[in-house]
Amino acid sequence: MRDQSELTLDDTAGEAAILRLYRQVFAVLAREAGAMIVDSTMIDVDEAILEAFAEAGSEGLTVEQAVAACRRWSAQVVGRRFEVLRDYGAISKVVDRPNERYHRAAFAPYVMLLFLRRMAEQGGQSELHQLLTLEQLNVKSANAVSADGAASVRRLTKVFRLLGSELAILAAGSTAETLGDNAQLLWGNQSLIDQAKDVHAVVLDRWPGLDRDCAALRIALAAYADAIDAAAGRLIAQAGTTRALGLLPVEAWRTFARSSSPEVLAAVLDRFIFDAPAPWFSPQDLIEAVEAGRQVGTVRMPPPRSDDTEPPPETDTGTVDDVEDLRALAERLLAATDPVSIVDVLDDAGDWLSARRVLAEVTAIHHHPDLDYELVWQDGVRIDVASSPSWTSHGHFRRGNRTRGDDG
Amino acid sequence: MNETETALWWARVRAAGPQRVTSGDAFPAGMLRLVEPDVTAVWLLPAVPEGAGPGVTEELGLPLLAVEQPNDTARVLAACLRCCWVEPTGPMWPGAPASRDAVASVFTKITNRDEIASHRAMIAAIRRLAAAGWVLWDEPGQTVRLGPRVAAWGSADSSALRELWRLLPPATGAPSSDTGRS
Repeated sequence: MRDQSELTLDDTAGEAAILRLYRQVFAVLAREAGAMIVDSTMIDVDEAILEAFAEAGSEGLTVEQAVAACRRWSAQVVGRRFEVLRDYGAISKVVDRPNERYHRAAFAPYVMLLFLRRMAEQGGQSELHQLLTLEQLNVKSANAVSADGAASVRRLTKVFRLLGSELAILAAGSTAETLGDNAQLLWGNQSLIDQAKDVHAVVLDRWPGLDRDCAALRIALAAYADAIDAAAGRLIAQAGTTRALGLLPVEAWRTFARSSSPEVLAAVLDRFIFDAPAPWFSPQDLIEAVEAGRQVGTVRMPPPRSDDTEPPPETDTGTVDDVEDLRALAERLLAATDPVSIVDVLDDAGDWLSARRVLAEVTAIHHHPDLDYELVWQDGVRIDVASSPSWTSHGHFRRGNRTRGDDG
Repeated sequence: MNETETALWWARVRAAGPQRVTSGDAFPAGMLRLVEPDVTAVWLLPAVPEGAGPGVTEELGLPLLAVEQPNDTARVLAACLRCCWVEPTGPMWPGAPASRDAVASVFTKITNRDEIASHRAMIAAIRRLAAAGWVLWDEPGQTVRLGPRVAAWGSADSSALRELWRLLPPATGAPSSDTGRS
């Protein structure tokens, strides 16, 4: 097991990427065997167990011997993985009898592990290329029959449907980062599609009766191409706004830049030639510069001014304040009684049109900093269905108390 | 000269500007050979068609390489052109060497600036132009010659530059030596 303190973020990210693929691939097997791969260590354990079997030779191994051979990992983990491998048939008893202790390993699971390792590192593209090459050989071989062609085309249809659907879903719904993480689906796609088209052409040529299957393959290929366009479009749009360098996470770029030797860094630019950064002067540049240079210097031109002289701004545009009008109104309202009820004031105003003007003026008086009157609202309303404002809140308008020493 | 060497020369010229080789050497295909006046050395400059030169970046709306003080630098190049291109009916290369004072006199006439600022701007511009191969600057001898890059101007450019040559005032002071005219 790895020491936890040594784990860095980069390691975790790398392991997560590998694990993601392992989980996809092993899910089918693990669901039957009751053991999911939850840690890349388990893959290492599997590999070590199979290696131990390879070392052991024709005798086979007991569980205890296998655990001893894999003493880098804890006996419990190795024992568990041994059980799992036995459950899905990678390890079986030398002789199938109840008390047999020696086991033998099949070679196929180890080959599969090798493939998985490679797919995890390279994203499975090269395997897909190999698969396509194999399919092409299959359908081209002299003794292939129509059924082989149909099976071949159906397999490819499935592969490309899966590829295309995954990418389309990612392109439509996921964040750009997730899309970037899965970008291996985008790489080398044109040659994949071309190869698949080659297979398709061979099959359609040899067995015209398979046109229905071939049409399905064509549709799957077109869908995959569309999904690539959509995903690439999103990645490019994202890169355009964030300046993130596209497909890889930022930390991957930083790690590469920091941990690479000068040779590795230089190798990135091996295939590029840059023009020397030399300025270019066209004759027009020279002529313009010379003519501009002549104008400068002798006479200082005054900055441009507008021709028509505007009339000076009027001075008496001070703020219009109707403080006197408001004071007169307040005094008129308070002439008879102080304080005066708002209900009475509004009733006196008559209809709602004049009542609301009075209300606005009273409110303005209340808020005016220079006028010492106040409007105090109270609970309750007076309801009179017949009159124009059919309900009126109770309240009083009165002289303020600032003069009485309370300036709150 | 085989294909690999030709490719290498092209790469060198593209990466480091015009290259100076001895005149006896084989030269790669597609390069202009600009012979020095004393015939001991040759400058190699890529010969590209009219529509494929560096001027095309402007037509395509691509950003040009920013040069410091672009206007002063262009003026100094024009002044060098006026001084070094003694016979504007003939080819520009190799031209005659011109003293710094001659270039300075032309530059001062087309800019009307005070002497110290003008001198400083001119030296800076000459160094920038020399770094890019537009002029050859003999710092100890204080003389300027046109650089190999001027040969990249096409025939249409040359006629516009002849117009410019006539526009510019001649150099005053010590006349430049005529060694390069021959």
